[in-house]
Amino acid sequence: MRAPITMLAAGAALAAAALAGCEENLPPPVVPAPPPPSAEAAADPIPSAKPDLGAPRAFEPAAPAVYKAPNGLTVWLLERHALPMVSVTLALPYGSASDPEGKAGLASITANMLDEGAGGRDAVALSSAINDLGASLTTGAGVDGSTVSLVVLKKNFKPAFEIFSDVVARPRFDDKEWKRVSSLWRNDLAKRAQDPVAVSRVVISAALYGRGSPYGHPSSGLVSTAAKIDLAAVKGFYAGHYRPDQATLVVAGDVTRAELDAVLAASLEGWKAPAKAAPAPPAGKPLASPPGLVLVDRPDAPQSVLAFVREGVAASDPKAPPLDLVNTALGGSFTSRLNQDLREEHGWSYGAGSRFAETRGTGAFIAQASVVTEATGQALTAMLADLDKMAKGGLTADEFGKVRAQDRADLVQAYETVGSTSQRLGTLAVLGLGPTFDAGASRARQQASKAELDTLAAAVAPRGTIVVVGPAAAVLPQLEAAKLGKPELFDAEGNPMKAGGARPAAKKKAPAKKK
Amino acid sequence: MRMRSLAPVLALAAALAPRAASAADVKVDIPFTKTQLPNGLTVILHEDHTLPLVAVNTMVRVGSRFEEPGRTGFAHLFEHLMFMGTARAPTKMFDAWMESAGGSNNAWTSEDRTDYFDVGPANTLPLLLWLEADRFSSIGREMTQQKLDAQRDVVRNERRQTTENRPYGKAEIHLPELAYPAGHPYHHPVIGSHEDLQAATVDDVKTFFARWYVPKNSSLVVAGDFDPARARAEIERLFGWIPSPEVTQVPAPPAPRLTGVVRETMADDVKLPKIIMAWHSPARFAPGDAELDLAGSILQEGKASRLYKALVYDNPLAQDVRAEQRSQDLSSLFVIEVVAQPGVPLDKLEAAIDAEVAKLAASPPSGEELRRAQNQFETGFVSRLQSVNERASLLNIYQMAVGDPGYADKDLARYRAATAAQVQATVKATLDPNARVIIRVVPKEAPAAAPAQPGGGK
Repeated sequence: MRAPITMLAAGAALAAAALAGCEENLPPPVVPAPPPPSAEAAADPIPSAKPDLGAPRAFEPAAPAVYKAPNGLTVWLLERHALPMVSVTLALPYGSASDPEGKAGLASITANMLDEGAGGRDAVALSSAINDLGASLTTGAGVDGSTVSLVVLKKNFKPAFEIFSDVVARPRFDDKEWKRVSSLWRNDLAKRAQDPVAVSRVVISAALYGRGSPYGHPSSGLVSTAAKIDLAAVKGFYAGHYRPDQATLVVAGDVTRAELDAVLAASLEGWKAPAKAAPAPPAGKPLASPPGLVLVDRPDAPQSVLAFVREGVAASDPKAPPLDLVNTALGGSFTSRLNQDLREEHGWSYGAGSRFAETRGTGAFIAQASVVTEATGQALTAMLADLDKMAKGGLTADEFGKVRAQDRADLVQAYETVGSTSQRLGTLAVLGLGPTFDAGASRARQQASKAELDTLAAAVAPRGTIVVVGPAAAVLPQLEAAKLGKPELFDAEGNPMKAGGARPAAKKKAPAKKK
Repeated sequence: MRMRSLAPVLALAAALAPRAASAADVKVDIPFTKTQLPNGLTVILHEDHTLPLVAVNTMVRVGSRFEEPGRTGFAHLFEHLMFMGTARAPTKMFDAWMESAGGSNNAWTSEDRTDYFDVGPANTLPLLLWLEADRFSSIGREMTQQKLDAQRDVVRNERRQTTENRPYGKAEIHLPELAYPAGHPYHHPVIGSHEDLQAATVDDVKTFFARWYVPKNSSLVVAGDFDPARARAEIERLFGWIPSPEVTQVPAPPAPRLTGVVRETMADDVKLPKIIMAWHSPARFAPGDAELDLAGSILQEGKASRLYKALVYDNPLAQDVRAEQRSQDLSSLFVIEVVAQPGVPLDKLEAAIDAEVAKLAASPPSGEELRRAQNQFETGFVSRLQSVNERASLLNIYQMAVGDPGYADKDLARYRAATAAQVQATVKATLDPNARVIIRVVPKEAPAAAPAQPGGGK
């Protein structure tokens, strides 16, 4: 929600100190002398100064009705009758952090299996039934939770909710479907090694949290352990974690409480929690000393995917909302420092950004950019300098005003569609944050003083792990020239490569391509 | 379609090829008023006070098909340059002022159009209009080498990030070069070549702006929480004076035709091979266009769809299947993309795809299949009405395409009216096995299989 730029690629500036210097006083960048006004310009009636604006209207997102269904299921209902649409999300606080040791991806593949046959329908019949209603049904697992979502027109809400309920409460886990699903899954995991952005994500979590910790592996799983997961493990995970007493059903759109309660009673009342106590959702914690510099070789790649990652905060930490403001200024929107520096000033990248990951346990702070290969060293140096400058100097007065205005605007837009509303509320449910968290967080942000933000900004200091996914032969000399140290080589699955393994020999020069 | 930046708000990609549904009572309605200023600028207003938000959408009838020879990628590069500042809003201030007020923006360029959009709190409307009027009247004369160079590097990195450094990306931008003859306006990809981007000059920018960025060739939408009377007066004052030369019409090229099978095998850094097939197909909103959207859905949507069922569910041949009509103004492409499972011979996979296409060409889809596809389009149409930004975009898309901003319901009616026989007839007429492009993307290291025979493939 507070990441207006979806993980843009980031690059960094070279002459860090000097550049960052002019960035500090953000506004007028070096502008060439204005051309002499032409006759046309003189004639035009557009005022030369930008208009003054009135005050924005205050806004508070509507709070959902919260209640418990007879089977212990928590319901958040936000009625919205402007369009004949309903969006539903069932959220459970068990995601890949709950994967058992050696079974990375179990939560994810369990979620994938839910709609491969449920209730009276096999996989094909279920998919057809949903599509016949013009509905879409998706299942999935993230780090901290699993979700099942439905979007449907109001006129088809009832029959679609029945199928949705089958998927949640009565999945069949047929062996026949498992053979196909598990084989497609393993192929997808193997394919991931060719996607540099996905590889970067895998390596970031491995480097920051370490393998074996709850957040140390990708939610989608690992090639090495996927083959060890069988259908029995899937059934076991489902039985232990999909329980109404731990679930929240988020419903947003054109439906009343009475209509919802009727379908709940008809379709989901039989879903009961097991007698056994519910497992506690695990929370990740970063390694005490993660590696400093990690390189994944991607021979001949035209760009390097750069990431800097360090320990952030838990989503429930009172520091999280104000830190979002710091991040907005640093890497959270188009005019943020990272994007301006790596993209607009230097043209090294299509975009650069940063974010604090929203997680139940201690999250990550991540800055990212895809940069043209020959600028890898310069861009990294600049990125780190941008972080350092923010950590030490905090926000400018202009930035302080801007990020609060953006926060107010984001709050209006985050809940504009029923889809985004149920998705966002589902995330809040997964994280245990409560249905009015965003309004409260925004209030906290609006009340934060600049001095407070400037102090908090130390959280982005560039002490952490650099991850580069790029061509080693071209990148290694640049890392050396930038005095970033010797990288540890990792493979695409996030494992350190054994010494003496395929260590590419450092060449003297990056292929100097004129750009 | 190329975006200015990678923003999240942009689920817009689908907007150009409207997706709709069939059956039943849902009405897809966006209330609006439309006027034309004396200089030719179309102005469309859509009032909705649900949220304190306002959206401004400015669309220009220009895209990569209007580019000069040796200047591929220029329309999209120009889109980036529109943000580079003027005398009144110097470099960086367009974004800085907008974001300081809580607004945000982005833009996209396709083969046929360029679209700019801003969203902000309702109180920002005067600023949004002022910024748009300023750049739409003066960016050409304010262009400098420095601004051009800066965005050229950004765009070249966009090319690298979104295609060259992505699995199968190189095939995606090569497809139009195989499907259309040299010299055809759709022959090159929107992003253009590095060489041509490098060759662009400041004079090119000025000429392009003077020729295409004129009121008669543009349409402005304001949507959301605002006072229409005041907005109209403000628009007349800020935009009404802008001179509008006549827009020279570009002669339509001859309809592209393939007389055989154009085959190419490309090596890429991928693990699993992929087959891409493309056929020339009817233009956006022409007869057959909606039928092919429906055919795409019947072929690929859900586990019962023809391709998924045959190639993934019943037989372990494909990892992933896609089939879709990619609608464009002059003529379209119908594209099927299938990623192979490990070890599956590509000839076998290709034959399996062909068999499914042939079945749909030989006999009509069942009533159940057709209704299923129509219902999904219906939901898609309603879905797109949710955000004020998307409604603004839709009004402009329909204005540009058919001259009627309120065409959404008639658009949906195309899908509702399509019959199974029409879907079959269109598939039969369009998806000719002997007139198409077939690209095979194969893993780089692996020795490419024996080159397939032109015209063969079974």
